Amino acid sequence: MKARARLRLIVIYLGAAIVLAGTVGPFLWLVSSSFQYERQLLNRPPQWLPNPIVLDSYREIFEGAVLGEASGVPYQSRIFLRSFANSFFVAGSVAAIAVLVGAYAAYPLARLTFRGRSVLLFGILASRLIPALSLAIPIVLVAKRIGMSDKIVTLVFINLSFILPYVIWLLQSYFKTIPIELEDAGRIDGCSRLQVVHKIILPLSLPGLTSAGILAFLLTWGEFLFALLLSETPASYTSTVVVSLFATDVDVSFVSIITAGVVSVIPPIGFALIFQRFIISGLLSGSLKG
Amino acid sequence: MQFQRPNTRKEPSQGMLAILFSAPAVLIIAATILAPFCIAVFLSLHNWNLKRPGRERFVGLENYIDWLTDSDFWEPLRTTFTFAILAVVVIVLLSLLISLLLNEKFPGRGILRALLLVPWAIPSVVNALLWKWLLNPQYGLVNAVLFELGIITEYQNVLGSMPSVMIWLVIAYSWIHIPLATLLLLSGLQTIPGDIYESAIVDGANIWGRFRYITLPLLRPMLSIVIIFEMIFALKVFDIIFVLTAGGPADATNVLGWQIYTETFRKLDFGAGSSIAMLLGAITLALAILFYAILDRGAER
Repeated sequence: MKARARLRLIVIYLGAAIVLAGTVGPFLWLVSSSFQYERQLLNRPPQWLPNPIVLDSYREIFEGAVLGEASGVPYQSRIFLRSFANSFFVAGSVAAIAVLVGAYAAYPLARLTFRGRSVLLFGILASRLIPALSLAIPIVLVAKRIGMSDKIVTLVFINLSFILPYVIWLLQSYFKTIPIELEDAGRIDGCSRLQVVHKIILPLSLPGLTSAGILAFLLTWGEFLFALLLSETPASYTSTVVVSLFATDVDVSFVSIITAGVVSVIPPIGFALIFQRFIISGLLSGSLKG
Repeated sequence: MQFQRPNTRKEPSQGMLAILFSAPAVLIIAATILAPFCIAVFLSLHNWNLKRPGRERFVGLENYIDWLTDSDFWEPLRTTFTFAILAVVVIVLLSLLISLLLNEKFPGRGILRALLLVPWAIPSVVNALLWKWLLNPQYGLVNAVLFELGIITEYQNVLGSMPSVMIWLVIAYSWIHIPLATLLLLSGLQTIPGDIYESAIVDGANIWGRFRYITLPLLRPMLSIVIIFEMIFALKVFDIIFVLTAGGPADATNVLGWQIYTETFRKLDFGAGSSIAMLLGAITLALAILFYAILDRGAER
């Protein structure tokens, strides 16, 4: 039996090693490449670890942002930091507004009895079944007509509606886990519904609200289609758009492209690892990244 | 069970409260999903090309008929199906294996589960950049590894020809989709009570028998959800195509998502673009319902 248990552990760790290599290996190689000289990247066999650690491509991004054209760095590098800030603004605003608006919408779905409750819930969820590509066409057309194209406010608004159904679903299932007795006690003490929400439901739902907010941030950060279609100038480019400008340009050096990729995932990967418990519980309460 | 809740103050009815509370969210969703959807239907029934302004006119179902009689619809459709089927198979098989591994208790399991979030958190565009780098014909790590192992004798441009471009596109796409599928399947596995396995062991069931007759049937609901959702995602693939292949080489990866994009935003034919997007939406919905019916009925048996 002891030999059997040992065999089991060997098989498990062998599998775990393969999964680990497959999970983080490709990304670590990207990070390692970003610290090398362009010519070192040509080495055969490949140079696994950077030696020396080269920070030129990271410096390019900062120099480009500060000095502009005078820095002599590629166009994409010059606009990258601005797009990074735009991504923070869009993803942060979407997360905050989605949680706020979503919480109020989720409460009646979780706790009130009213006609049309299931229609409302189904309608909110079904809205996500419509492919984004088919909605993108009219949205871009209308945005251009009314002068809302190339504005990051528009991106906030559009992303919000794709994130909201998801946040509402997550929060209404979280609200249902709060014991109804607590709410009843508040009602007996004379709280109105609004006060119940503010003083009982929301404070007790902090973990759920955090999950929803982080997920909203991460999903918005990675959004590409609308960010691409609704932006025309660096003023409204998000980091995914600039990354795509890097990746589809054959004239930019590989190290610059790779570095842009690495920097643009620092916030999402950092968040994902710091808040992994919140994220996993949020993901498992019945929602998907789409 | 619904208790009569104490009402100490006069306040709006529950229905009124529901309307007030959900109004902001409903308005936002209506403005950015419902209204555009109606406009998309409208556009799909019109000749609407931004290159020829002032010539917009109602054409009925002409756009749809044009697509359905055109190989520019059927070829990308076939490519989309090829991609989606391969991607769903790869994602489901690998995430099933990984979730079975993570369902075992061993030191370090929590860390491995957390690290799954690394690929998950990477935006699809950055993922495409990453694989463009890994697959680079001169510098790529994939080439280097295959070369060092003696599997290839010279570096290959895998994105330059069929079928390698499709294979690597599927691998690259799957890489960021496996983690979520794994976590969902893992949560399904964890709802299976351990004592079922114990009594099966007592009855002499081997590891395959336990998987085949206990795990698989009990995991079926979650497995169905994962298959359906992954299929919906894969059918509308776009981001990775934009960066990695741009539909090429020679239309080999020209999926419907890419066809819609070029038709609408490069040729600026919004009517034709809207109608093919509607067709993709209808196909996706029909397949989702079909899969659901098959997988659901199978579960009842």
